[in-house]
Amino acid sequence: MRFVRIVPEDSQVVNKPPSQDLDALIRIFENSTWREMHLIGEGIDLFLSKDPNARRPAQAAPAVPSGTYAAALPPGGPVAQPIAPAVIAPPTSGVPAPSVPANWVTVRAPCLGTFYSSPKPGAPAFVSLGQEVTADTEVCLVEVMKLFTSVRAGVSGTVQRMLVEDATLVEFDQPLFYIEPHD
Amino acid sequence: MTERSEPARILIANRGELAVRIARAARSLGMQSVLAASAADRDSLAAREADRVVVIGSAQARESYLNAPRILHAAIATGCTALHPGYGFLSERPALVELCSENGIAFVGPTADSMRRVGDKLSARALARAAGVPMTSGSEKVDDVAQAIEIAARIGYPVITKASAGGGGRGMVVARSEQELAASFEHASMVAREAFGDGTLYLERFVERARHLEVQLMGDGAGRVVHFGERDCSLQRRYQKMIEEAPAPILSAAARTRLHAAAVALLAGIAYRNAGTVEFLYDEDSEEFYFMEVNARLQVEHPVSELVTGTDLVRTQLLLATGQGTLPEQAAISVRGHAIEVRIIAEDPRRDFLPSPGRITRWRPPAGDGIRVDTGFTEGAVVPPYYDSMLAKLIVHGRDREQAIERLAGALAGFDIQGVATNIELLRFIVGNDDYRNNRVDTRWLERALLPAFRMQS
Repeated sequence: MRFVRIVPEDSQVVNKPPSQDLDALIRIFENSTWREMHLIGEGIDLFLSKDPNARRPAQAAPAVPSGTYAAALPPGGPVAQPIAPAVIAPPTSGVPAPSVPANWVTVRAPCLGTFYSSPKPGAPAFVSLGQEVTADTEVCLVEVMKLFTSVRAGVSGTVQRMLVEDATLVEFDQPLFYIEPHD
Repeated sequence: MTERSEPARILIANRGELAVRIARAARSLGMQSVLAASAADRDSLAAREADRVVVIGSAQARESYLNAPRILHAAIATGCTALHPGYGFLSERPALVELCSENGIAFVGPTADSMRRVGDKLSARALARAAGVPMTSGSEKVDDVAQAIEIAARIGYPVITKASAGGGGRGMVVARSEQELAASFEHASMVAREAFGDGTLYLERFVERARHLEVQLMGDGAGRVVHFGERDCSLQRRYQKMIEEAPAPILSAAARTRLHAAAVALLAGIAYRNAGTVEFLYDEDSEEFYFMEVNARLQVEHPVSELVTGTDLVRTQLLLATGQGTLPEQAAISVRGHAIEVRIIAEDPRRDFLPSPGRITRWRPPAGDGIRVDTGFTEGAVVPPYYDSMLAKLIVHGRDREQAIERLAGALAGFDIQGVATNIELLRFIVGNDDYRNNRVDTRWLERALLPAFRMQS
């Protein structure tokens, strides 16, 4: 298995199939002679390929392209696994910023590390879409070699976009959330 | 493991021209490369040459190139199997080597243990002494001024203070008398403490007219060490090398053989792994050389040795570290012709070498027979203010020193860089100088004779 991409149709990671289902699908694919698989359903657009140079078939660009990080799903669930080797993928830093209302505030990664949306495996996420936050609200963790740094919203407002899959590599300055500030 | 068919993937923990070289060497060997870059370098030439770039932190080196946890995290997360530290930054930190081995990543360089043993100058002197390498008369660690004066009386003036924990000229003061030593000792110790976190000094007899010679070595980690000839790096300003050449033009065949043997013995004694250099002072009058220090990494000036031996040292490093190649036999390494490297730096020699970061508006490097330019920059690129300001290394190769100098003079005449100040005019002046052409130089010639003459002619 060389390559897994999960491309949410929208940054809103909702109605996602349970991770066990995804694991089962990936296992079926791995054990098959198929070279590629492309599954589009409600809340998911899953592209699997055994070719490291494969690209997801062209279609209307997702609303938030920065959601397309290469992510290797660790077995047993996507949370709090040691950083998984990812395939060589194009740098994410050059992804153009998606168009969002000018007043939205971007919460960015303070450094390179692994992004965690919840405090520990299986626990509820720090924040959910549409949630009201204050400047001090913890929105995620970024882990560097077992050292966890909490990231705070930095502004009071409403979480409008969650841009990064749990347990994936984020780079310095990468957008993580969009917050619509309170007036 | 079923991953044996996977190509090796190299994490480049560095920037600039060397990062470009590592990326190209990896590609030429069918390996992949991942550059761990700072935000200031995300659009650099190195970033374009690497297969993948991950931005690990902001421009400040401590947030990026000096941040070992972030670099390791990037290496693991991108599936790298080896890490090349380059030179400077973390290249001589044993902790990085240990972090690599704890995480199953091959470090392209020596073991942490070797690094510690040669990194501390006093420990390195003990190793050199044990290997029978000639040393200047000197001391163990000196506790205070009183002891320094006592030791200096025994080894004889002039003496030089040196920091146990590091080099680069910091903590080094020449004293020609007891008064001078008494006046400068405390300050030298303070400078060393500020630079290296350790103010320990030792004393050496000071050689008045010295050459800086060094031997390029490579070890297999199992006790076999080969050399790639020596370099003469006597043209220095404030202990920073400006021009380097290979082979050293002043060495007799007998002295050269002894120099190489001493360097090999030192590193073979600790079963040194990968690339390293042993540096010596050479006293031209007595034809004696004295151990100075070991650099446990690739050095900036390694290309002159590559050109005269026809060996790509970076490729050799990668092959050795990934277990895909073996060390060449000594008999297969021979020196042909003469090579000279000059460092093109974004600094203004007419304004006390003030660094000159900024955008390069014009970039016309020379090309031609025997001319090589190693750089991390292109036209339109920005020289960031956060790091050292070397723009390029211009390296020439000729059948002998005369032809190499002619090619260097021609290449420098044609090197056109606009937008930032450079030292090219100074380099042209040096290469046109009679003493340089006739090889009548020593480690302080540049500051003593050449720079005053350069200032006069403007």
